[in-house]
Order: sequence, then C-alpha cells, then structure tokens
Amino acid sequence: MEFNFEMMAVVAVYFLGLVAVGAWASRKVRTSEDYILAGRNLGFWVFTILIVASICSGMTILGTSGLGYVTGWPTIWEQVFVPLSAAVCLLLFGTKLHAVGRERGYLTVQDYFADRFYSNNGIRGLSAVTGILVSLIYMVGQFVAISMVLSWLFGISYHAALMISALIVTAYVIMGGLYAVAWSSLIQGMMLIVGVLLVGPAVIRSAGGLSSINAVLAGIDPNFVQPWFPDWYPGAAAPYAGYAFATPIFLVSFFFLLSFGLASAPHVINNVFAARDAKYFKWAPLAAFSVYVVVMYLVKITGFAGRAMETEGQIALPSGVSNPSDYVFVLGAEHAFPSIISVLIGVIVLAAVMSTTDRLMLTIGTYFGWDIYKRFLRPDARDSTVTFVSRVAVAVAAVLTLILAWSNPPALLAWLIWMGIGLMLACYVAPLLAGLYWRRATREGAIFSMGLGLLGAGVAGYWYQFVHVLPVHFSLYGFALSILAIVVVSLATAKPSEEVLDGTMTGPYIRKRQARGEGGPGLKR
Amino acid sequence: MFGLPFETTFLVIAAPALIALVLLFWALRW
Repeated sequence: MEFNFEMMAVVAVYFLGLVAVGAWASRKVRTSEDYILAGRNLGFWVFTILIVASICSGMTILGTSGLGYVTGWPTIWEQVFVPLSAAVCLLLFGTKLHAVGRERGYLTVQDYFADRFYSNNGIRGLSAVTGILVSLIYMVGQFVAISMVLSWLFGISYHAALMISALIVTAYVIMGGLYAVAWSSLIQGMMLIVGVLLVGPAVIRSAGGLSSINAVLAGIDPNFVQPWFPDWYPGAAAPYAGYAFATPIFLVSFFFLLSFGLASAPHVINNVFAARDAKYFKWAPLAAFSVYVVVMYLVKITGFAGRAMETEGQIALPSGVSNPSDYVFVLGAEHAFPSIISVLIGVIVLAAVMSTTDRLMLTIGTYFGWDIYKRFLRPDARDSTVTFVSRVAVAVAAVLTLILAWSNPPALLAWLIWMGIGLMLACYVAPLLAGLYWRRATREGAIFSMGLGLLGAGVAGYWYQFVHVLPVHFSLYGFALSILAIVVVSLATAKPSEEVLDGTMTGPYIRKRQARGEGGPGLKR
Repeated sequence: MFGLPFETTFLVIAAPALIALVLLFWALRW
C-alpha cells in the first residue's frame, strides 16, 4: 500500500472521535460503579452492540476470513456458534445475573461467585486471577492484529503502529471506563456492520459470485463444499490434511468452546450488569445474534472469495509472513475497490480490534481495582481510591501487553489465543451453570471445578501443541473434568444454606415471574 | 443452490434460522 494523505486524515478523525468520547465519558465518572459499570445505565442498543463488539474482535475479522480461505465451508459452524455465544451470554447467564446483581449490588462476576459460593477469598481470587491472565493473553493477540493491519495499510513500522493504537485505546479507557468503552463500541460496531455490508458483497461479486466461488473451492478439494470434513479418529493417526480438522466430533467440542466458552469470557459476561433495564433481556438475545450472524457469514464468504481469486491469479497472498491467510480479507477488499476506498477496510478492522481491546483492558483494570484491591487487600479503601487503582491497573496492563506484543507475531500466538478461550470454558462455565441453576452446587464443588478444569485444559492444550493432535478441541477435556468435579464434590459436601440460595435466585428457572399472584418462583420460565 | 451440495445449503441456512426462531420464541413468551 502507498502512503496517502486522505487515508491518514480519515483514521486521524476516527481516533480523535474516540478520544472525544473518552473525554465526554470522563465527566460522567463519579463513583467506581460509574467507572466499572457505566452507572448500570446503558440503553438497549448501546448494551446490545457492546455485547457483540466485545466478542467480535480483530482476530475475528482477519481470522474468520483467513480460516475460510484455508478450510472452506466445513468451518462455517464457527460463524453460527460465535454469534450464538452472544445469545447464550444474554439469555442463559445474563438474565439471572443482571437481576441478582442489581439486587445484591454486584460489580463483577466475582461478586456473584463470592456470594453464591459463600467464599470471599478462595473463589474470588481464583476467578479474578484466571480472568486477568486470559484477558492479557487475548489482548496480546489483539494488539498484534491491530499493528499488522495498520503497518500494512499505512506502510508505517509494526512498532509505530503498536504504539499509536495502544496509546489511543489506553487513553479513552483510563478516562471514561465502561461509559467510554460502551459508547465507542457503538461507533465501532456501526462502522463494522456498515463496512462489512459494503465490502463483503463487493468482494464476492468481484470473485464472480457465490456459485462460481464454490465451483473453484470444490475443484481444490471436494470437501471444501461439504458441511464438515470426514471423521479420521480412531482409524487414522491424524486427519488427511492439516486443514481437515473440522470433523463432526470436533465440531461438537467447537460448539461448547465457542457458544459457552466465549459467553463466559470475563470481557463479555461482566457487561450484563451494566444494562439499565431487566426488560432488555427479552429482545437482546435475538437482536445480538441476528446482527452478528449476518456480518460473520459475509466475512467468512469473503474468505472463500479470496481463495477463489487467488486460485485464479487475481490476488497473491504476502510471502515472508507467518500467517499469510490472515491477509485475505484486506487483499480481497483491495482488489474489489480502488485504493482510496480501501481506507474503509482499515477502519473496519481497527474498529473490530479496538472494541474488544478496550473491553479487555477495562476488565483487567476492574478485576485488579475491585476484586483484588478493594475486596481482598484493602476492604476499607475509599471509593475514589478504587477508581484510581483501576485506572493505574489499566495502564500497567497496556504496558505489559505492549512488551509481550513487541516481538512481531509470536509463532505460538494463535495457540495462545485458543488456550485463552479454552481456559475460560474449563474454568467458568460449570460453576456458572451449576451456580445459577442447581441448588445443590457447593463452594467446595466450585473451587474443585475451577482448579481441575484449568489443570485439565492446560495439560490437554500442551499435549495437542507439543505431543500429538487430538480428535476434539483440547478444552473439552478440561470442561468435562470441571463438570465431573462440581457434581461429585458438591454431592460429597454440605448443602448451601437456603438463605444464600434464595438470595442469589438459585434454581432451575431463568426468570422469576413477576408477583401477580400466578406461578411460583420454581416455575420454569 | 449457490453451487453447493443440497445438504450444505440446507444446514448453513437452517441452523441460524432455527436459533433465531428459538430466540424469537423466548422473547414472545416473556
């Protein structure tokens, strides 16, 4: 790409807009609840888009089209399962967490765990430290993606791109907390949706249309147009090709990993406490899923189009980079549009990356400021001190991530990111589901579940990367262990008190029916 | 359709449509 002035101007205006949002938001931050939860005052669309934008990252855009390029249609399920995670988060976790959280004054999901599992230090510490760790891993991946795109688009160095993007995001997160993150996510989400709706169809058209793309894909490998790759386990030692991992049994583990693992991610689930009104949980699951699935299908098919265009010699992926397929979205869009409009692509990817990065940063800051500092180290700390410590923690997290992302793409980056999501699935999902819906789940069960889940996923992840390929995603082993642990250990330990269970609305229902003289709290609804 | 086998076409359209229907049902039962 040639450096040009118009492009820099557009991106500069975008960056200035974000800093302006941060400055506006900083005037609304008076208490730690304002900083961490935007005063529990987010409106319907800001809230719904915040959930989608938190999940939808830069890796999502680049990685999704890149995966489409490499594997064809069998991995389209990722584009069903990821949008589904937004609905799972809102419906299965969010509806009840929001109701209990408002009543009991939770600021983070650790407050829920500590309350439901009557353990302030053990489970809060385990959950918060895991959350900070996986968020840091995830954030390194985001920064690498953002710098890759910026340096590609503007011809500036990778390190300059890294510094600029980190400074902008850190500035508005420190200033405005969740107010700034939520409102900038609305801007970023809109740009992402409009951008993909413009770029996607144009790239597909310039590749000759969907039927022609599919004909080229089927010519490369007939399985590219099948809904999944053929099973290889246990008959063979490995799939017939490295890209043919998406077998039916693998896709089952992928479903749990994405639909439940991402739904329980710290930077996603904590948003549910910030909604202004419990009624939002009525339509938000459908709204979030529908918007997200359309955008993701388009991005994925853009990757297919890129594969067809490359096969026919219209585009060439860069050589000398470790992840050439991740460039397919950018290259396809460049081919479909004259260069001036390709600024749009840069802005799309930037918007996607920044809307996740800012939420991750805020998560690390609040987990440290609230869960570790206020609830563990200094229970008598003043409220303004908690906000200050959170802001300092955001800055420290940014510097730490910069150091980790400084050596241009670490080879293990993709594995690290999968490891991050895998650890979330193995650590949070079983205690959340059991805590919300099963009155017999106990403190000891939850602690064993988290500990064994992390251990199982860690060992299986190491095995998969350094020993031998596994038939299902490695996180499934940890997840199975965490479910087993919470059931067995809970049944072997003393039942929680009725007071705790009723106070946290525990039981096999999603929503308590309003008191209108009909139905009881035990009604499934 | 779209140059895909019937099974693939059916699944990639039916899966998101089914999820959307369930979520619509959730909203209407509220």
